[in-house]
Amino acid sequence: MVGPRRLNEPRSVTVSAAGDGPPRAVDRVAVEAVREEWLVEDRWWTPRPLRRHYFELALADGRALTVFRDGDGRWFRQRA
Amino acid sequence: MEIACAIDSRLAAPERPGHSGGLRPGRRSLDGSTADPVAAAEMTEAMAGALERIGAAVETERPGEAFFAVGGLRGLYGGEVAGVRAVARGAIGTPVLIGVAPTRTAACAAAGRGELVVPRGRLGRFLAGLPTVALVDRIGPPEREAEELVEALGRLGIETLGALRKLTADQVADRFGSRGLRAWQVARGEEEPLRPRVPHEDLVEEIELPEGVAGSQLDRALELLVDRLLAAPGRKGRTLLGVRLGARLCGGGSWSVDQGLGRPSAAAQVLRRLLVPRLEDLPGPAEALRLRALGFGPAAADQLVMEVGGSEPRRRRLGAAVREVRAAQGADALLRILAVDASSRVPERRHLLTPFPEV
Repeated sequence: MVGPRRLNEPRSVTVSAAGDGPPRAVDRVAVEAVREEWLVEDRWWTPRPLRRHYFELALADGRALTVFRDGDGRWFRQRA
Repeated sequence: MEIACAIDSRLAAPERPGHSGGLRPGRRSLDGSTADPVAAAEMTEAMAGALERIGAAVETERPGEAFFAVGGLRGLYGGEVAGVRAVARGAIGTPVLIGVAPTRTAACAAAGRGELVVPRGRLGRFLAGLPTVALVDRIGPPEREAEELVEALGRLGIETLGALRKLTADQVADRFGSRGLRAWQVARGEEEPLRPRVPHEDLVEEIELPEGVAGSQLDRALELLVDRLLAAPGRKGRTLLGVRLGARLCGGGSWSVDQGLGRPSAAAQVLRRLLVPRLEDLPGPAEALRLRALGFGPAAADQLVMEVGGSEPRRRRLGAAVREVRAAQGADALLRILAVDASSRVPERRHLLTPFPEV
C-alpha cells in the first residue's frame, strides 16, 4: 500500500431507468420501491463539480441498495 | 400444602397477646435490646440461607420469619414433619420456633403457640380462635392501614378471625374495601401459594476495626475488605453485580448501604472507587465493616487494569507486535481506518484506510 485510500468508493452498476426518473431495475433485478431519494451537490465552484442523485431502493429479491446517478448520467452503487 | 413458618426467636417477639408476627421497626427483641433492622436482616438472611441449604424453597418478606413448604422435604428427612423440623432447626443453629399449618397465618401462629402442627382438617377451628391482630402482617403493606383495619374491626366487636369469617364477603367489601376482603379471605384460610425466592449464594467478609479508626485508616480497612471478598474461594472467579457495605457501630446498632457496580466486575479498583465515598455516610464510629456480594455475574479472568505496568511497556510491546506482523505478512498487513470527515454528505470522504503507524 502506497498511501491512504478512501473507503466506500462508488462502484459502477447497471441500472435501467426512464430518462431522469428513478431506477426500474438494478443489474436486471426489478426495483420494488424507492424508499428515499436525495441530491448531493458539492464543489460547484470548481471546474469539477459533484452532482449526485441518490436513490435508496428495495429490490424485488429483498435486498436494500443505495445507488446514485452522477452529472454525466452514469450509475453507481454505494453505502450511504 | 403444608407450610412451615420459622421464627427467629431472638427477633420476633409477641408484642400483643396472641400475636406472633415478625419484627417491625421499633419492636424489641426477646432479650430486650432495641431492634436493629440491619442486624435483623442479616439474621433473617442467615436463617433463609440455612433452610435453602437443606433443600427448602424459602419465602421471606419480613425480618425474623421464613416460610417454606414441608411437602418435598418429608421424603428427604424421614417422612414426618418432626424430622423436617429437626433438620431445619439443626441447620439454622440459632433459637427458632417452627410451626406447620396449611396457610402462612396459621403456621406463624402455630410457631408462636408451642410449635404446633395444624392439619388441614383443624385449620378452620385454629384460625377462628386467632385474634384479628394476627392479620396485620398478612394483608399487605402499608402496615398502618392494616392496623387501622384491625382497630375498626375491634370497634365493631370483631376480635377474632372466627368472628370476621361469619360476615359475608359483600358485607366486608362494602365496609372495608379490598383490604377488608383480603383479611376475610385470610381468616377463611384462603391465601396465595408460597412465592419462594431464588436461592443465592452468600459471600460475605467482615473485618474488625480497632477503636478510633477513621479517615484514611478506615479507607485502608475497606480496601483490605474488598481484597478479601475478591479473594474468597466462594467467588469462584465470577464477577460481582453489586455489593452491600455494612458496619457495626460502636454505640450499638448498625448501618448498611447497597452499591450496584453498573456492570459485572471483579476489579478491586472499581469496587474501591465506588465504596470509599460511601464511608462518608457512616453515622458514627464503627467497630466492624462487612461486605456482602449481591449477585454474581459471569466468570471472568482477573481483570487487569489497562494502566498496569505504565503506558511505556505497553507501547513497546505494541510496537514489537506491529513489526512482527509486517515482517510476516507484508507492509499492507496492518492498516487502520481513520475518520477524516465522518459527517460528510459524500460517503467516500468520511473514512480513509491508512497504514498503521510505526510505534
